[in-house]
Amino acid sequence: MLTPYDFQENIQQRAQYIRNRLQAGSPVIGISYENGVLLFTTRRRGRKVFEIYDRLMLSAIGNQADVETLRLAAIDFAHQEGFVRSPDDVTVQRVVGFALSPALKKAFGDPLTTPFVVRALFGELHASPERDLFYILNYDGEFTPAERFAVIAGTTRAEEQAMRFLSETLDGIPTFEKAIPAAMVAWGIAREAAMQEEGEPIAESRARERLREELQEAQIELGILERQTMRENRFRLVPAEQLQGYLRHL
Amino acid sequence: MPALPSSEGAFPRLEVHGTTVIAVKFKGGVLNVGDRRATAANVVMYDRADKIIPLDDYTLMAIAGAYGRAMEVVRYLRHAFKYYARSQLQPMSLDGKLQEVSRVLASNLPNALSGIGLFIPILSAYDPDQDAGRIFFYDASGARFETPDYGAAGSGAERIRGVFDYIAKTKGAFSERPLEEVLREAILLLDIAADLDAATGGIDKVLPTARYVNREGVFEVPESTLREIVTSLRGG
Repeated sequence: MLTPYDFQENIQQRAQYIRNRLQAGSPVIGISYENGVLLFTTRRRGRKVFEIYDRLMLSAIGNQADVETLRLAAIDFAHQEGFVRSPDDVTVQRVVGFALSPALKKAFGDPLTTPFVVRALFGELHASPERDLFYILNYDGEFTPAERFAVIAGTTRAEEQAMRFLSETLDGIPTFEKAIPAAMVAWGIAREAAMQEEGEPIAESRARERLREELQEAQIELGILERQTMRENRFRLVPAEQLQGYLRHL
Repeated sequence: MPALPSSEGAFPRLEVHGTTVIAVKFKGGVLNVGDRRATAANVVMYDRADKIIPLDDYTLMAIAGAYGRAMEVVRYLRHAFKYYARSQLQPMSLDGKLQEVSRVLASNLPNALSGIGLFIPILSAYDPDQDAGRIFFYDASGARFETPDYGAAGSGAERIRGVFDYIAKTKGAFSERPLEEVLREAILLLDIAADLDAATGGIDKVLPTARYVNREGVFEVPESTLREIVTSLRGG
């Protein structure tokens, strides 16, 4: 029997479908530190942290093809703006708010198209850490700015737990050396919490164990935008060798 | 049909504006040094022009000629190289970058022939395949030539050509010598060019620009280092 089309039910079903698929995603932890901004996550196959523009980077959880579409749209918009006007006019607020969000919203609300399965975290570098910005962009086009640190993970509860840990651990603006261990534990908390339906807050020891388990099959991907650098490009992926010291203390 | 605006034969005089930019190899990379003077006819327009410009982490461009047009091309090239690297998740090949420079020079030829937009770049790059620095220079139509050890462009370049030869023949190839030595030679060469060419700024009033590229990327030589070299060249 044909049932009448119910907009609300349709939206709920789409959201549920996306949330189910996002749940298993490897969380991304963003932290603004003294000499830069970092995005920390793990990867099994393809790249996870991407340079978008001179001071802008992106990492996301979700469907690979959808992340790719979002990434290229962001790069196209940023480069057109930067070339026509100035690199200074390329801001995360404009890239996310004007270039990406309306398109996501449109795809999400249109019952005849497949919605994007994606939740993205942008990190934007500024002259001082107090002004660094993170933007979280959701599959339905909603976006939220954040300062100092930000988390995207498989569930809202997982994000909240990791955020709570970061706000308790990071006292002011951390150094890179302090930010990495915090990012590692926050990743473990977010990952573990996303895998549990209900339950107690995740203990730090459990979070560390979760990351160690993950690293048997995956590797860390750490993208940074450097505030003070001699290099032309501020963005780079930190090589695995540089993280060995931190992993020994995990 | 009106004659070409020239009294010197079939082509209008392709005047490269006053400047001296130098590219020399050192062990592991390429050093670029340039004076800071920008001229229009016999007027010094500006004495802090930067003529050595990084295009990306492995490519430097030294420019001689019409500054405005050159800057527009530099802006285009920087975006083109970075856009490619960011969107394709791999850097553009060295050959790809060199072709792109040829293409913009070829499309700039009408400007050059009309006498308003000629500029001649020297491209210095670190080549990961050869693990060495490489230097390329171009003519106004976009033809590309590779030079084995050093190159220079601008009105002062021709005046110091013999000095390069003299240094290379008496002290050995630049590409085998350490950066510190080559930097000193390059500043001295620029000083000689400024002595012989009115359109080349000196090294005393405003320090020259010096950047280099090697396996680690593109770097700027700090002012303090340049200041020390200039002072010691002056016998201080």
